[in-house]
This record gives sequence, structure tokens and C-alpha cells, in this order.
Amino acid sequence: MNKILKLALVLLAVSAIVAGVLGVINELTYPVIDAQKQAKTAEAFASVLKADRFDEIEFDNPDFPTVLTVHKAEGVGYVVTSKFSGAQGNITLAVGVDNDYKCTGISVIEHSETSGLGANAASTGEVGVNFRKQFVGQDESIALSNAGGSIDALTGATITSRAITEAVATSIQAVKTLG
Amino acid sequence: MDRKKQFTEGLITNNPVLVQQIGMCATMAITTTLFNGVGMGLSVLIILTCCNVVISAIRHIIPGEIRLAIFVVVIAGFVTIVDLLLQAFVPALSEALGVFIPLIVVNCIIIGRAEAFCQKMPVKDSFFDGIFQGLGYTCVLIVMCVVREFLGSGRFGGGLIDISNGFRFTLDGTGAGIQIFPESYGASILSLPFGGFLTLGFLIAAMQYALKKAEDKKAKKAEKEKEAEK
Repeated sequence: MNKILKLALVLLAVSAIVAGVLGVINELTYPVIDAQKQAKTAEAFASVLKADRFDEIEFDNPDFPTVLTVHKAEGVGYVVTSKFSGAQGNITLAVGVDNDYKCTGISVIEHSETSGLGANAASTGEVGVNFRKQFVGQDESIALSNAGGSIDALTGATITSRAITEAVATSIQAVKTLG
Repeated sequence: MDRKKQFTEGLITNNPVLVQQIGMCATMAITTTLFNGVGMGLSVLIILTCCNVVISAIRHIIPGEIRLAIFVVVIAGFVTIVDLLLQAFVPALSEALGVFIPLIVVNCIIIGRAEAFCQKMPVKDSFFDGIFQGLGYTCVLIVMCVVREFLGSGRFGGGLIDISNGFRFTLDGTGAGIQIFPESYGASILSLPFGGFLTLGFLIAAMQYALKKAEDKKAKKAEKEKEAEK
């Protein structure tokens, strides 16, 4: 009995020390990480829709569970952010939609796709830029080229490409429900 | 303990990936650009060295029954610290490596060294073991990145080197690398996970061949000496 108690106490002590250290590190890095995330979101908004300001509007439609937020840019259009599953984990995507319900651009805010494959969807390299460019001007009937649409999937990342394509269609439909 | 011997063990004769054949999952997955390879290698090196030192320092107070649990807690702690620091200060690398940074927790190089080395050895030796084994891992990653990047997309140093404005190193992962031949001529299969298997297979084969040769040579030499003695 004593032995079990001793084992448990040692494990508890080690875990407590590690947890304490992690708490301190988290306290130190959290503001930096948070500021970066906000800057990234702002940058993503600016890259998908040319507008001076974005105002968040209420969007709570049970038909669109993946949609996180909708921002309205007066007279220009909307930016929809949505979170959905990619190939490896969740992808957070910003989609710009103009008043004619056409996509004005997309930007990946957060993802955990495979480096060198699905991650290319978010890369600043030629592959990523060209992939994202295809979405500009598309309407809600958007689909991958192997499903009869005009979007070429990323090499070796069909699941990621399909997920993003579907999310763009969903975002446009979500804006349509706003009237 | 002999530092020189530890050094050759880490890099060559007991290389974690090519000889011990541990930690191969991330090796195949992330070696697509030089930037990823160097970043992952250095992350593992730092985590491995820290874990080695701590585990070696507390090796006398860890009860044998729960040593693995304690190793995992210590390793997970350091991995989370590095993960948070990367997210805060090198976001490009954290994004490129994605899930593979948190996955270092279960990278068997680190738990393997803790189990095989640090729980018996003094802190100083464990420290150097971490550095040399980490260097061995980094070297393998760099070789794989260079091979896969060159054959797969005709580039060298993607993410790490930028030559559009004169030669410079980009530590934020934005450099396009040096294009040696047009990307469309590359065998893009090498950039896919399959290419990782292929490259790693060839590397291991080459390493085993070289080690076997060196061993044969040694054996022959010993035999000759024996005969001369007679």
C-alpha cells in the first residue's frame, strides 16, 4: 500500500512541476500568439475582399453548422469564416462573397494539413496562390474538375481541395440566406 | 565517456534513423523542403537535449515501475514549451510542421534515448548524447530534404534561401529557394509520402552497406594481425 502511495505521489509531483512550468510559458506566449492570430485574420479579410471596414453581423442558422462568423462590408459584400474538417484536422477558411453571390477570394486562416501536400492550400508559394486564384469569380455551383467543375485539386491533396471547395459553396449559400 | 565516440555514434554508427531506425514517421512526412527539415531537426535536438538532461538528473528518484509515465510527462512538457514558443516567435515553421511538432511527444527517438541511455548515465553524458543524437537526426532530415526537393521539384533550400534579391537566408520560411531545373520536369512523386519511403529506404541501404564494409575491413585486419602473430 505504501509503495503505491509513493508511486502516485512521485508521479503527482512531477506532473505538478511540469504543469506549473507550462502555465508560466503559456502566460508568456499567449499574448504574442493571440496578437498574431488577430493580425492574420485581419490580413485574411483584406485579401479576400477589398473593403475599408468589416462589421460582424449576427448569423445563427442551424442549416450552416460550419459557419463561424459573417462580416459585412457595406456596399461591397461579405466575408464568411467557416471551420470544417480537412484531411488531417480542422480548417478555418475566410471566403469573400460579393453582392452578386460570387466568390472574391479565399484565405486559409488555420489548418493542420500535411506539409507539402494539403498545406499547399495555405502556402504563399506559387502552388498555393494559383490554387486559391481559381476560386475568384465562382458561384455556388463550384466543384472540383473531376466532379464536373473547374477547380483543379492540389496534387496529392484531393480531400483538402474538396473540403475547401465545398466550404466555399456553403459560404456563398450562407450569404444568400441573408437576402 | 569518450565524446568523440559519442559523436560518431550519434551521426554514423548508431544514427537514430538510419541504424536504430526509430523516429521514422515524421522523417518521411516532413522532409519536403529544407526549411521544414532544418526546423524539425533543431526542434527535436532541443527537446531531446532538455529531456535527456532532466531525465538523467532525476534518474535516482524515479521509481522503476512508473518511469515510462514520468518520461512521457517530462517529454510532453518540453514539446509543449517548444510548440508554444514556435507558435509565438516562428509562426511560419509552426504552420509548416503542423501536427508533427506535438507529435514529437511520441517520437521514439526521445523516449528511446531516455530508456536506453539517460536512465543509467550521468547528466553530462546525457547532455552530449542529446546533442549528438539530435545532430544525427537533423543530418538525415537535411539529406532527405535536399534529395526530395531536388528530384521532386528541381529546387534547393526551399523556404530557407532567397535569391531574388541577392543571396540571403530567410528565417520566416518565405524564400522560394534556388530553382535548378523547371519544376514541371521534377518527379513530383518524390514530394509525396511515397517518395519519403523511397528516399529513406535508399539512405538506410547505403548506410548499412557502408557500415558492413567498414566492419569487414576491420575483421580482415584483425585476422591478418592474428596470422602475423602466429
